[in-house]
Amino acid sequence: MSRFFRLRVLAFGGAGLAALLVAACFDLPGFGGGSHPYGDRAVRASLARRTANVISSVNFDQRAYDTLGEMSILFAAVLGCVVLLRQNRDEHRDRPEPTEVALPVRRYALLVLPVALVTGLYVIAHGQLSPGGGFQGGVVAATALHLLYLGADYGALERVRPIGVFEVTDSLAACSYLVLGLAGVLAGTAFLANTLLPYGTFNTLSSGGTVPLLNAAIGMEVASAVVVLLARFLDQAVEIEEEKGS
Amino acid sequence: MADAVIVVALLLTAGAATAAVAVRDPARQALVLSLLGLFLGVVFTVLQAPDVGLSQLAVGSALTPLLIMLSVRKVRRRGKEGGK
Amino acid sequence: MNGWILAATVLLAGGAGTALWGVATGPLSRRVVAQNLSTSVVCASLLLLAQGYDRTAYVDLGLLLAVLGPVGTLVFARLLAEDLTDDRAAAWGLTWTTVGVDAAVVVALCVAAGPGRAMVKLLVVGALLIGGNLVASRALSGGFQGVRGG
Repeated sequence: MSRFFRLRVLAFGGAGLAALLVAACFDLPGFGGGSHPYGDRAVRASLARRTANVISSVNFDQRAYDTLGEMSILFAAVLGCVVLLRQNRDEHRDRPEPTEVALPVRRYALLVLPVALVTGLYVIAHGQLSPGGGFQGGVVAATALHLLYLGADYGALERVRPIGVFEVTDSLAACSYLVLGLAGVLAGTAFLANTLLPYGTFNTLSSGGTVPLLNAAIGMEVASAVVVLLARFLDQAVEIEEEKGS
Repeated sequence: MADAVIVVALLLTAGAATAAVAVRDPARQALVLSLLGLFLGVVFTVLQAPDVGLSQLAVGSALTPLLIMLSVRKVRRRGKEGGK
Repeated sequence: MNGWILAATVLLAGGAGTALWGVATGPLSRRVVAQNLSTSVVCASLLLLAQGYDRTAYVDLGLLLAVLGPVGTLVFARLLAEDLTDDRAAAWGLTWTTVGVDAAVVVALCVAAGPGRAMVKLLVVGALLIGGNLVASRALSGGFQGVRGG
């Protein structure tokens, strides 16, 4: 296939895609209009289950099955990274040299670490009330842990991060999401149906039925998945060396 | 006039995305990319989608730069060893 | 469109535009300083937008950025330490200017919020943002030394 022919194929495909996009744009509703058929139904369903944050209600109640899929994607992606970035037979580990960190930076890291952890937990716990939820909070909590690497050195991070525990937690959290879904089946309704728990009082922490529980499961899964993922990247970047002469 | 903030946020995002492509060194690209993440967070906020904005800020401000910079460090170290 | 949103628009167009220009051009030392500056500007704009839309829940975005933004700058300061030893990225004039802008924004929002839990939250965000900005600036101007392999 010549270069010229390839360019013609690319131009043909690009022109087709552009034409379809423009045609689709003409059928879009106006920007910021007042008619939101799906939005109205989602809000009504969410208010009926006393979940203040409609997005959480969509993610963990009305479309909880989609979230199960998203969680599996993250789980599989991290699993793939763990397999790809393992230590090969022709590689060995070198202890990294300790780093001199300026005192204000070190103090800041140690001071902000607990604040960031609490912020992550706050975002997870308030998922059913305000913007946020398991994914966002989980990422914040996992990032917080890595302040130890930034503010001290990799050895300090490794001491507080037993990687096996995080791998087990990751799997357990993924399982608990499934178990919460199956509990609905056992109770006689449908998979992941939000009928198990009382809906509680609107706009309080204990509202929304199973939404906070599913949020917590996702938060645990994401936090440990990110920790495991970053551990593999850090191992490769800091510790693992290829054997000389290979 | 009320949409001015949306226009500004979209222009910043477009500028940052173009700059991320135009800059060629991966470490400098990571710097531009972290700005792109912030601007996307602002776009989602002004379009009244704070949940998505929060996800974008959580991932884009520290996690993505860390992953990219660790990969850059690994590649650079391997280059140094090969040069010995 | 009210004054808060107008202020956020001006801050974004001016401050974030400058940060984008700074991060896309010039030597590495200037780029990391611009990256640090962008966190302060965008966080202040997010707080102003939360007030402008009258949604207190939107303050969470500012809180998240005030916590994680400086962490992102520390990532660059640490992993680019070898490149930054030759030309130190010190721009204290610029840093103190952004600190002044952030402090002014937080004080204005506190006055608008009045005493209460909302004000405490805003003060926490402001303290995290300003402290993080100063420490990140310190880290960029030679906070990590002897980073080899670690």
